[in-house]
Amino acid sequence: MNREQMIKENTEQRKVQVENLLRVNGLEGIKPSDAVKMAFPKAFEDLSPSAKRGYLNTEQFFNAYNLDTNGESTYRHVAWRSLFVPTEIMYAMGLLPFTTEMVASQLAMTGAARERIETAEAHNFSGDLCSFMKAVAGGVIENIFPTPDILITSTHLCDPSAKYSELAAHTYKRPEFILDIPYGLYDLATSGSEKDLARVEEGVDYIYEQLQEMIAFITEHTGLTLESEKMRQVIQWTNEARTWLNEGNDTILAERTSARKGVRELDYAANVMQTWGTQRIVDVYKSRCKEYKANLDPKSDNTEPRITWFHLRPYFKTPLMTYLDEKIDISSSQVNFAFWEPLDPADPIRSIARRTALHPAFSSVTARTRMAINEVSDDIDGIIAYYPKSCRHFHGGSIMENEMFKKAGVPILTIDGDCIDDRGDDFPIVKTRVDRFLKSLKKNPRNTKR
Amino acid sequence: MNNVGWFCTYTPIEILHAAGTCPIGIKSDSGAEHEDVVLGDSICSYVRSSMGGALTGAYDDLAGVVIAHSCECMRRLADGWLYRQEEIKPKMLHLLDVPKIVTNSSITFFANGLRRMKEDLEAQFGPISDDSLRASMTLFHKTRSLFNTIDALRKEDAPAITGTEVEKLIATSWEMPREAFNDHLEAFIDGKKDQVGNTDAPRIMVIGGPGNGSLIKTIESTGGLSVVEHMCTGLRAFTGNPVFNEDPYRELAALYLDGTPCPRMLGDKAREAICEIESMAKEYKVDGIIYYSMKFCANMQMQWALLKNDIPIDVPMKVLEGDISSEINAREVQSFIKRLKKRRKRNR
Repeated sequence: MNREQMIKENTEQRKVQVENLLRVNGLEGIKPSDAVKMAFPKAFEDLSPSAKRGYLNTEQFFNAYNLDTNGESTYRHVAWRSLFVPTEIMYAMGLLPFTTEMVASQLAMTGAARERIETAEAHNFSGDLCSFMKAVAGGVIENIFPTPDILITSTHLCDPSAKYSELAAHTYKRPEFILDIPYGLYDLATSGSEKDLARVEEGVDYIYEQLQEMIAFITEHTGLTLESEKMRQVIQWTNEARTWLNEGNDTILAERTSARKGVRELDYAANVMQTWGTQRIVDVYKSRCKEYKANLDPKSDNTEPRITWFHLRPYFKTPLMTYLDEKIDISSSQVNFAFWEPLDPADPIRSIARRTALHPAFSSVTARTRMAINEVSDDIDGIIAYYPKSCRHFHGGSIMENEMFKKAGVPILTIDGDCIDDRGDDFPIVKTRVDRFLKSLKKNPRNTKR
Repeated sequence: MNNVGWFCTYTPIEILHAAGTCPIGIKSDSGAEHEDVVLGDSICSYVRSSMGGALTGAYDDLAGVVIAHSCECMRRLADGWLYRQEEIKPKMLHLLDVPKIVTNSSITFFANGLRRMKEDLEAQFGPISDDSLRASMTLFHKTRSLFNTIDALRKEDAPAITGTEVEKLIATSWEMPREAFNDHLEAFIDGKKDQVGNTDAPRIMVIGGPGNGSLIKTIESTGGLSVVEHMCTGLRAFTGNPVFNEDPYRELAALYLDGTPCPRMLGDKAREAICEIESMAKEYKVDGIIYYSMKFCANMQMQWALLKNDIPIDVPMKVLEGDISSEINAREVQSFIKRLKKRRKRNR
């Protein structure tokens, strides 16, 4: 199929797909252009930082169906993407990422995930598969997602998301590109030995070559090209956004603020995953940082325990997060920070390769837990880790992680839950565990806090 | 002689042999899955069995192990092993990173990894020369070639070789010194010459990973005949076409990455796996497919969904989900085989 035919076919299919999406969200009969206008009642600039965050995600989501926020229609080159594929090159080339894991969380937030999961399970997707991917698989079967121009996935950290891309490529009949990411380079980088560092460089080179191949693949299938000036601009936005994100994080870690954070704070993770390289994400993190700084309240009588949150949260409606909002102060998050050094505008592809190679979570449990033990601030009372039971990567390491934190004197509560599938949600039981944990924090505070 | 354990068929065991050790394949159930107190219940039973085995001394006679980073569960096995290293007797652990795609760069990357594996082995067991590696490669290529002979016999209309026999041969190949095993394999082939087997039994292709020790026995005791196993304990253990390269590590890297693909593989190689399954169904004159998917193996679970939903294979496929040691429901298998028999009669 040539490019013109593909664009024509995608355009037609996306019209149907957005209607299907509205139907499963209970908005049948509403014109897509009206639905979009309803989703954006205010301009981006007039919103709170957290609302800006949501605006950006929703805007990109509708854009993938060729819908602009004003209800007009513009064709977008869309790349189906797994969570850890770097986005800057895509934005610089004019390609819109459609991140499968984020889409699953959006379905869960609108209460539309459970039925999609049941659809997947009725179509041969095993019960113990990752619920993010089952929700996506169900959505593909029900044809509610926009047909991508291409698919790009990476092999870190999760097997299901890279593997599911193979199925999606088959369904949509679109070409797929895989970034094969070497494992454990973060471990080697922290060891500091010359031999290990040479291996890290070898891994970076391997990814660098693949990123070059990825650029050629994008051009071959979409006609989009990478212009160095655009790439430089995108890198600049990423670096600015990184600075504001980390400054905001440092602010709330160092001081009490009366700005309400709670669950909203965890939702910035979605942007961390998808929006590096956009101009709007600079604004989002800048406003967030400014909001926190403007509301510093050192004399606050806020005595809720300060918690570091690990992994993601349940995205479906559950009383758990509201309850936690009342009981704890989420002062930092494992996911919601930029772990990397600023990207080098003079050598952007290589610095993206390096960042990709050195993802701290794509490392041994012992290395990433040691790092976390070193970095958990003295002022933090404890950790709550929320791990989906279907996640081999995080849940599969939680016993070791728990033991290591306990030995290091850092209290941790691991909640075996699910981020997308609400069928096993049992708030009373989890609440009992949370209450006991919070009680123990009060009774046995960390050494650093005594 | 030192024994060195390996877990995944993407491990080029020729290098272990060239180091003067006997490579021991750890595929069967250690019986100690429940003793795994490190990894937790979201990890597949094969890995938990291996972890439990390590903690209870099942591998104490090994001088070391090579764990291939082939999937997220194997990754956690390496974590657990290192985490509890003080309680585990085999002291050497080499973690081998295995690419999921087959390209020129991935072969180079894997070949470099193999050289590092060689260095780790040398530190324990002494130098490995290129000549000794070439000699080991020749020996293992002979095994491949003998298994290919067996494989060809199984494609015949009335194969005299059963799946149970092949499964046993592969298990033996993972324990017996290779020189002796090749003799054993030759003797087996000689013994099968001019023999004719059952023509009435429905011919089954089994797809899976490390499988389950009772599966093929159950298929064959309930009236079927397993003619090909697209599994770690089947084709993946011996397929691949060696193409000479000046650099033996690069040759091995290409050979192993390009063999019968595990569902872990992605991109072109994954698509090749699907085509291969479709063509094998014809080549082996298969009446039906049994897909044995290991619980908590996302790669197999995804591949089976793809095969069931989107690939028009001409023969019925039955999916069984289970563990490395779980009981196989013989009635379920038998009823599938009965169905295949009826279908066979109808189609004649």
